[in-house]
Amino acid sequence: MAEKWRTEKKRPTIKVLPWPAVPVPTVEEVYAGVDPKRAEYSLWVEDQVRQQYNADKPESLDGIRVLDMTTDQIIGHWCSSHFSELGAEVIMVEPPGGDPLRTMNPFGREDYAFTAANGEKCSPRFLAEARNKLAVTLNVETKEGQALLKQIIPQIDILIENAPPGHYDKLGIGYRQLSEINPRLIYLWVGERGQWGPLKDQPGAMDPVGQCAMGFVHGTGAPVSFGGTPTRSGWWLADQVGGTFAAMGAMAALYAREKFLGKGQFVECTAAEGVIRIIDYNWGWHGMDGSVRPRYGNWDLAINIYAVNPCADGQIMVGGGHDRLWFRIWRTVGKDRPELEQHICEDPKLRVVTDRLPHYMQVETYTTMCDWTKDKTRDQCEKALQEEEVASGGVSFLDEVCEFPHYKYRGHIEICDDVNYGKVLLGASSFIGSNTPGRIKWIGRTVGQDNEDVYRRLAGLNRENMTALRKGGVI
Amino acid sequence: MTAAVSKNLKDMTFEDFCRTVFDTTKRFEKPETLKGVRAVSTTQYILGPSCASYLAELGAETIKVELPKRGEPMRHTTPFNEPFLYPLSRWMPDKGTGLGFFGANPNEYFMSLDFHKPEAQQIMRRLAAKSDTFSENYRAGTFDRWGIGYRQHAEVNPRVVYQWMGGFGGWGPGRNRASYDILGQAQGGCFSVTGWQKEYGGMPSKQTIWIMDYWGGAISAFNIIACLYWRDNVSGKGNFLEYSQVHGAQRHLTDLIALYGRTGIVGQRWGNWDPLLCVHGIVKCGKSSYPNSKNPQEQEVGFCLVSAYKDEDFAKLCKLINRADLAKQYPKHADRVGADAQMAIYPELDKWAADKTKEDVDKACKAAGVLSQPVWNSKEVHDQEHYHLRGTLAWIDDPTFGDVLTQGVPYQLSETPGRVRWAFKPVGADNEHLLAKLCGFSGSHIKELEEKEII
Repeated sequence: MAEKWRTEKKRPTIKVLPWPAVPVPTVEEVYAGVDPKRAEYSLWVEDQVRQQYNADKPESLDGIRVLDMTTDQIIGHWCSSHFSELGAEVIMVEPPGGDPLRTMNPFGREDYAFTAANGEKCSPRFLAEARNKLAVTLNVETKEGQALLKQIIPQIDILIENAPPGHYDKLGIGYRQLSEINPRLIYLWVGERGQWGPLKDQPGAMDPVGQCAMGFVHGTGAPVSFGGTPTRSGWWLADQVGGTFAAMGAMAALYAREKFLGKGQFVECTAAEGVIRIIDYNWGWHGMDGSVRPRYGNWDLAINIYAVNPCADGQIMVGGGHDRLWFRIWRTVGKDRPELEQHICEDPKLRVVTDRLPHYMQVETYTTMCDWTKDKTRDQCEKALQEEEVASGGVSFLDEVCEFPHYKYRGHIEICDDVNYGKVLLGASSFIGSNTPGRIKWIGRTVGQDNEDVYRRLAGLNRENMTALRKGGVI
Repeated sequence: MTAAVSKNLKDMTFEDFCRTVFDTTKRFEKPETLKGVRAVSTTQYILGPSCASYLAELGAETIKVELPKRGEPMRHTTPFNEPFLYPLSRWMPDKGTGLGFFGANPNEYFMSLDFHKPEAQQIMRRLAAKSDTFSENYRAGTFDRWGIGYRQHAEVNPRVVYQWMGGFGGWGPGRNRASYDILGQAQGGCFSVTGWQKEYGGMPSKQTIWIMDYWGGAISAFNIIACLYWRDNVSGKGNFLEYSQVHGAQRHLTDLIALYGRTGIVGQRWGNWDPLLCVHGIVKCGKSSYPNSKNPQEQEVGFCLVSAYKDEDFAKLCKLINRADLAKQYPKHADRVGADAQMAIYPELDKWAADKTKEDVDKACKAAGVLSQPVWNSKEVHDQEHYHLRGTLAWIDDPTFGDVLTQGVPYQLSETPGRVRWAFKPVGADNEHLLAKLCGFSGSHIKELEEKEII
């Protein structure tokens, strides 16, 4: 069963390499030997969008204020990250003592937590989504807390919450009550399956509830005949997809408010429904003939070749179902193993793109393919296939991802040198653009770090008020 | 300004209130968010088309430009070569569009254009001059070389939000590499953290959906709306945006990247359990819910998510499975979230569930006050009234294909909801309409273009 080193008592010492362990390629290295005419466009794009110029550019959502009141779930924080990366002022409202996510470290190991300058610890999971956000505390279960929230609501554009269905409404701080105070308020509820309807959320539901409730888990992993079981995604996929759609809904509401509507609205988005939207053709197919999408492991039901298959030192991805790439792939294989190329290319049943899709044809294709990959490393396969301009690449682990030259060069991975938490390596904002790029300004704040700033600025509280609220456990 | 919520809505129960303001039958009575926004999309596969379709769901007039006759490659992908929707195009009535195309193209208008030809590029320029957003996923620089890239468009239409989306981006060491969703998943690290550990017979696994495509499209659509907001309310200026597919994975795995940077730990697979929480994992139930079904998918044994990571919930769960000793052995969350403890606890749950179906496990957990969720397949999801009531799944009367089951808009908006009008259309279905409307072409001119195979 488990290898020895996996047990908790015996832990290996891991040498932490500085990042980047291998220097980032320079511009000269990247474009060395490239025809200047061809390089011209690349250099122009690079000049337009390179992240090092971000700080001098405007932000598209500057001046928008978002109150992120979600706790104990990643969907809301993921959603508000979209706004904070594009320049909105996002205020995370946590219960006094902080969001429980702050203490959730992988396998409960405190040494995985990030320590702030004041000694407070924070889990990587929370810190990753605290980017550019302010942190205040507020106990909305208390009368004083509710009053304070109502006091600042006129100055808020978007409010996000994930309390159990109807809970905020019962407390008198739901959409119905807050929109009376601020009709321009966009009120967003996020959750796993919904705040209304027969399957509405039970308290405490978090991913992978969403993944299980919409067919994702059933479809992921190898089929039974290959020894597989339904498999969840290794990260909180449904929450993160749902969070992006929640952000899209709130952004649409904001656009409508400014353009013609003049008022805010009630928005809802859930993790399960976010993934239902993007789970390929499942519904169209089921509707046509009652088909239930099966698991198909690392192959693809609808495209052949389009898979990750084993090779000598791991797994290699090869993709290209259409004739142009299909024949290039087999030409690559044929350079070493002409008999394999011949076997595939002379098979009349594999000649038309759609004819290659039935299961037995996929088995034939990949069995032949693996005959070639089995003796080659990821790198050798990749090089050979890329010579023929075929989309291919090895399955990378996170250390390889962090050191991948392309990601380093483009700033997909970057270090945020934070006042609180020191140097933190992270996945950068996905918003790359010429005029209003997304950016990361700071990585996160300690619990209630911005109480003074936010409550004095937005609610006009003074020293006495603040002390009383603190004593009463309200903030 | 009138009160946002009228009086009778105020007196309703919260559930009724939600059912009223989000009523899916009233969606077509409400205004559309992006009405008047014209989005041109010359994209293939999933990444670009899905981005355009999210805008189309919000009411943008989205024009998809494809190559004539056979259309884009995704029309020729379909699971196991079985389901097709007919016809593919007016030129190929005996061929169909595969379902790979489904879900990424609702509400769009379809125009065919062979933009390798100069006349077609001329048409493209006229379209771009009149559009608010323009997206393409050709190899970076190709459109620029053809004179229909951002630099040329911006000269005539500086307000255009131009989105390039594709594999590795237009610059950097890997700029010439081709990419697909699955490559984004593989090289971004998604595979490496999904699936069972080696010791349990697992290997790095694909997330079943084309997630780096669909999610990349979503985040790009979000950015496009934000750019439209900035253009219309702040600056009046357009934008040049670049989304690289392989970028998505790094954003999703940020916490593990931070962990690697600080501790050198490389995050690994942890099967159907959760590294952060215990018990919060999927339990194998020994019995199939439909042992007599003819469908092999349904003969499989069931699986059910059980979540009881809080101490009091864990105690309830241990009582339910008659293992109160476990609650004594692992009283605090810190005691049971470690790897050894998880490897000891989950097999006990599997043992308890060995003679049960997933429904039995779900029922028993709910009765004991423990959170659970059976692992549903697409049929079971479809059978949930919940999703139909909320418009997430819907049977629509499609103008071309008749009754079609389709996914709906994933988010609910009370005032300006998104909506699905049609699943998609055949290649070039709106040629006449769009060319007459946007370029002022006469009927005979359009016929001539068709004969010259430009459209």
